[in-house]
Amino acid sequence: MHVNSKETEFLKQINDNKGILFKICKIYQDDTEDRNDLLQEMTLQLWLAFDSFRGESKFSSWMYRIALNTAIAFFKKQKRRPDDQNLPYDFDKAEEISRAGEEEEKLAMFYKAVQQLNKVEKALIYLYMENQSHEEIATHLGITPVNARVRLSRIKDKLKEITKKMNYEYR
Amino acid sequence: MNIDELKDAWNKDDSGDMRLHLDTASLNKTTSVLGRLRKNMKAELISLLMSYVMIFAVLFWNVRSPLFFNITVVLLFSSLVITVFYFFRFYVFYKSIGRYDLSIANSIRKITYELELNTEIYKTYSFSAIPLSVLTALALIASKIRFDHLNNAIFTNSSLLPFGVMLYILATILLSFIITYVCINFHVRTSYGKYLTDLKQVTNDLGELS
Repeated sequence: MHVNSKETEFLKQINDNKGILFKICKIYQDDTEDRNDLLQEMTLQLWLAFDSFRGESKFSSWMYRIALNTAIAFFKKQKRRPDDQNLPYDFDKAEEISRAGEEEEKLAMFYKAVQQLNKVEKALIYLYMENQSHEEIATHLGITPVNARVRLSRIKDKLKEITKKMNYEYR
Repeated sequence: MNIDELKDAWNKDDSGDMRLHLDTASLNKTTSVLGRLRKNMKAELISLLMSYVMIFAVLFWNVRSPLFFNITVVLLFSSLVITVFYFFRFYVFYKSIGRYDLSIANSIRKITYELELNTEIYKTYSFSAIPLSVLTALALIASKIRFDHLNNAIFTNSSLLPFGVMLYILATILLSFIITYVCINFHVRTSYGKYLTDLKQVTNDLGELS
């Protein structure tokens, strides 16, 4: 493929599927600057790996794998606060959220709660939210479908506990 | 809490607060640790090449001891061959490490294994190259001055190195090894340490699922 047409095709595909990248960024990073860095890194890695996309599967399926691999291997810059520090509940944000609709409120709390999962759990819950079957999740992660199902069930329980601790219960 | 009830909101979420800046320039920028390591390695290679140019310039300037000039040339070429070998190895590693087209478990295991392997190779390289560089520097200095004890010892075999000089050489080599050990371990720990720990944690989490 000619370099320019390859680039055009790539940029078009990325633009059509940018929602995948945005959501992965929101799942894996809670800071705007880190999200932008991760977004840029995922775009770069997708571009570097674009030659390996043969079109045998959907572009989005191929993209899940590259983007999630990048997000898991991504290591944020050393700065303001450490990696694993649990953030205190952000009251300003809560007020902002409460003004939005109930669905948005729940989703915002979900994104907040997900920050306390580890990187593998984040990948599992992300793929689940993207309506991937247990078999597809297992293939992406390189685990067995049974393990994917069992672990997902545990993650749901864990999220319930986390939201309880955040003084918020989904109704 | 029922996560399934959130799927509608999830599907509708267009992440309006985020923007994707797509252009050719952004396809070449990286902020990742691996990207920064690649840049560091490139900078290290450039500074090494520049130092070789400077050493060669100093080597040909005001030669007073042909013997030590010859020894310096031999040591210099030896360290150059070692440097080229290791940097080629690092180049191949950094070219291949960013390929994420395998399953997540395999990719992360591959990155962790290769990164750990290459940190050990980097330590080995430093252990072999730095003491050699110290010897090269000593030979270079000796080529600029008349070091009669060494000259006599090597040429005529009639004069042994004084015990004090032997101790001095031993202490210099030992010290260069100790300094190398401390500096390299510190460098590896600060550059790769937290990243490797993080990746090993992910590998363990994935191992629990396999």
